Amino acid sequence: MLQVATDPMHQFKVVRLFELHVGDWDLSFTNSALFMVLGVLFIVGFFALALARPKTVPGRMQSMAEIWYQFVAGIVKDVNHEDGKPFVPLIFTIFSFIFVANILGMIPFLPGGAFTTTSHVAVTGTLAIFTFLLVIVIGVWRNGFKFLKVFVPSGVPWYILWFVILIEIFSFLSRPLSLGMRLFANMLGGHVALKVFAGFIPQLVIGLGFIGAAMAALLVMPLLVSITALEVLVAFLQAYVFAILACVYLNDALHPGGH
Amino acid sequence: MGDDLNERIAKAQAELDAQARPSKKSMDGPGMGLGFRMAADFVAAIIVGAVLGWGFDALLHTSPWGLIVCLMVGFITGVWNVVRTAQAANKEAANKANAPDGKS
Repeated sequence: MLQVATDPMHQFKVVRLFELHVGDWDLSFTNSALFMVLGVLFIVGFFALALARPKTVPGRMQSMAEIWYQFVAGIVKDVNHEDGKPFVPLIFTIFSFIFVANILGMIPFLPGGAFTTTSHVAVTGTLAIFTFLLVIVIGVWRNGFKFLKVFVPSGVPWYILWFVILIEIFSFLSRPLSLGMRLFANMLGGHVALKVFAGFIPQLVIGLGFIGAAMAALLVMPLLVSITALEVLVAFLQAYVFAILACVYLNDALHPGGH
Repeated sequence: MGDDLNERIAKAQAELDAQARPSKKSMDGPGMGLGFRMAADFVAAIIVGAVLGWGFDALLHTSPWGLIVCLMVGFITGVWNVVRTAQAANKEAANKANAPDGKS
């Protein structure tokens, strides 16, 4: 029993909630899918409710919705300036989905346990590859052949240019990996750390009795509370970083080879 | 009359768009985000180098040279990614410090 309770990887297990097979495809509805649906429903529901009756002087809900939106619009404006306007809804969607998915995974005491969809490469990798392909499509669509300029920085002497181009290609290819890996690794690592530290408490109590309980209360609990707070910060920060990098990459697609 | 108001709204909106956003007070959040970015960019470039090199070797049977060369290029790319991010961040910080209404 103790083994199951303290197994730090148990929380990442994908469980089929009901089976669904179409031909050779396994389309079963999993807890991961459930939490993605919950996240999307939360975002849509929140904004529908908050903006149902918009007022010139916003109430609490409307204020939150407006701050949320303007935060993302501000990121796009800082990075992409005027040209970024058409991409605000896209970046807003990406940011909100990641942020809500991260936060949903932080809710304790949910029946069946909260599940962090963003702690799986399948989800973060898909988001990252989508962003990567989108940048290529928009770059080629807007600039055509000139998009290749993204690999050729200006003002480099010809004798090292070939090497710089090689590095730029590597750098470009590492983008989706970097995007997906950072989000997945941070969510996974943070939640594992949280669980491992929490696991110290029953172990201390069982191993050392009263002294162990005192140590758990004085040392482990405060640490646990601060790590939980840190995790909430990381949950927000990872969504923020993902959004900012999507903007930076879009900027490359819009203005290849210089700013 | 309605057209006049719409015109004025459009004009005000355009002015607002053209304005640079006021620089925020420095927070730890973006700095921490920058750290996450650098770490992941560095590692990702090396992994890309390893995968490309390995794939190159598997296709052309040049083992181990493709892996060695691509891993080195990947490492250089990783360092270059970090240096570039840091340079951009430094430039931004210097601009903020030199600005007349800079907070820090």
